[in-house]
Amino acid sequence: MNIVIIGCSAAGLSCLDTLCKISPQAHVTVISAERYSPYSRCLLTYYLGNMMTEQELTISTPSSYPASVRFILGQKAEKVDTRGKSVRLSNGMECEYDKLLIAVGADAVKPKYCDEEKRTFTLRYMDDAKKIAAKLKGKAVVSGGGFVGIKTAYGLLERKIKTEMVITSSYPLSMVLDESSASYIEKDLAQMGIGIITNDDIAEINLHQNDLKVCLSSGRVLESDFVVAGKGVKPQVDLARAAGIKVNEGISVDEYMETSVPDIFAAGDCCETVDLARNKVSLIGLWPVAVEQGYFAALNMSGNRSRYPGSIGMNSLKTKAFHLISAGILKGEPGLKVYEKQMFATKQFRRIAFRDDVPVGMAFYNCPEEAGLFVNLIKKAQPLLVRPQKVVNGDVSISDILKPL
Amino acid sequence: MKTVIVKPERCVGCHQCSFECAVTHSSSKTRMGAISEAILSKPRIRVYLSSGKENFPNKCRHCEPAPCEMACITKAIYRDAKSGIVLINRDRCINCGMCAMACPFAVVRYYPYVRNRESAHKCDQCIDRQAEGKIPACVAACKVGALLFDEVNKIMDKDTEKLASLIYMGIRERVPEPGNFASLVAYKQKLNEIRRRQS
Ligand SMILES: Cc1cc2nc3c(=O)[nH]c(=O)nc-3n(C[C@H](O)[C@H](O)[C@H](O)COP(=O)(O)OP(=O)(O)OC[C@H]3O[C@@H](n4cnc5c(N)ncnc54)[C@H](O)[C@@H]3O)c2cc1C
Repeated sequence: MNIVIIGCSAAGLSCLDTLCKISPQAHVTVISAERYSPYSRCLLTYYLGNMMTEQELTISTPSSYPASVRFILGQKAEKVDTRGKSVRLSNGMECEYDKLLIAVGADAVKPKYCDEEKRTFTLRYMDDAKKIAAKLKGKAVVSGGGFVGIKTAYGLLERKIKTEMVITSSYPLSMVLDESSASYIEKDLAQMGIGIITNDDIAEINLHQNDLKVCLSSGRVLESDFVVAGKGVKPQVDLARAAGIKVNEGISVDEYMETSVPDIFAAGDCCETVDLARNKVSLIGLWPVAVEQGYFAALNMSGNRSRYPGSIGMNSLKTKAFHLISAGILKGEPGLKVYEKQMFATKQFRRIAFRDDVPVGMAFYNCPEEAGLFVNLIKKAQPLLVRPQKVVNGDVSISDILKPL
Repeated sequence: MKTVIVKPERCVGCHQCSFECAVTHSSSKTRMGAISEAILSKPRIRVYLSSGKENFPNKCRHCEPAPCEMACITKAIYRDAKSGIVLINRDRCINCGMCAMACPFAVVRYYPYVRNRESAHKCDQCIDRQAEGKIPACVAACKVGALLFDEVNKIMDKDTEKLASLIYMGIRERVPEPGNFASLVAYKQKLNEIRRRQS
């Protein structure tokens, strides 16, 4: 069987590794537009912050695979011919497939002020990180207060760059956190020396004789040496759409990770799947989720039909000053009941949101140990049989939750 | 392939498994040495006490597929191809917390292991001891048969998998059958019952 995988990051690589284990007789061709050996995208901010080298980002070496696996790096898949079952690459090469996985991921949203001439970048690929690293000096502005924005600012801080974050909403991580959880993060960021400007956005960037002037909507003007925009991602759907595959926000897939065209599967940031906390199909856009989806795609492509159960939004953000693990939904839904326990002395809090007696969201600040237990309860929509307040207080042991009385 | 099998209903909560686990993973590997090391070795197995006063030894299940391995953004977590044990490469670990976020059994902890370097810690099924032909330290320490080391296929499909999936789904396990240390276990259970009635 000929399998072609387009994209070799979290989802593509996980699919490949699973196929090598469960279906070693398959011939697999992996196509990646990037010329690098597979690397971990999540670590780009660590690379930027000189906390890791380019080599340390590498998570797999093409030469370690058996002869039945072929890597084509640095070539883009330009067209999928669903009738003739082949993929055309940018160098004109045609790759025929029996089963195809589209794992082309997402790209950073580029706000209209983005312009490399004006030293304004987005951070998604290794090449982006290298471009930014080449311009690194003095002062920076990071726009966007999401996970990528904060991780970028933290990376720059490690390089002793004076960084100012410009956030459209009134507090950081507003997409996932409620205001009071976020206030801790905001304080920590400020204490580390990252400037935070809320309720504002970049309107325009001007370059005057090598000096950058970042003009904000409020009229404020910031001096900066370069700008990084972290304003979210958009799934790469053009290839699939042109091939006649059903696309909504992302590529539409069924429970078996198969698209509307038989024998074509999709996984990772490019596709939309069920968010179990929200009970609806959404873009999730996370490394662990992409890996899971790649795994399920591999099972189904090799004939082991297995249902992908869906996932939830979750993340772990660790800096020198704090460690935050958040998952599911914490706000924005009527009837959501939030329980919390703050431990001021140890600078910790645990917050869990419930819909009736089912946990649907959580934020754990500086206490990562039991986070996975709750992430899993949220995923399973499993009612908690012990009193929620006791759980957040830490008055019940995990055996009470694993094995309800 | 042999693996550690946990029988919570037999546990009497003596915590010797935790102690021996920490000793085995210390640099000196001796009891006296372990307690005087600059960076104290930490146990990878913990015994919890439920509100019904039942003991619950908890350690890494080496799940297949392993959520922690899938969540690891540096690929520091990997499965040893030969033994199937899920291991952590400390030098690649950056303590990002993704594995703790992913682990449904809450067994991952972050500790320093040399000066100025932290890493995720969890059970490695005593892979080094096994290479020397010994059984895992926690199993060697357990006096009541709550921790067993046996063939996966022999016991796994019979007993533990059922139990693990029941626990996983939040269903209480069935009435335990008498085992090797039936009287001690029975004594312990009676004690629990008395305590439960009193409270
Ligand atoms: C700076 C940063 C930090 C992050 N931090 C975290 C984090 O802490 N936790 C977390 O869970 N997630 C994090 N993420 C998100 C995570 O990296 C993504 O969810 C994950 O990489 C998705 O993997 P993927 O395989 O779906 O796609 P991608 O990683 O986007 O990879 C897609 C690949 O396909 C290639 N490709 C695209 N089109 C084509 C084509 N036509 N032909 C050939 N190849 C093509 C691309 O070049 C790319 O290599 C972070 C992302 C960034 C940018």
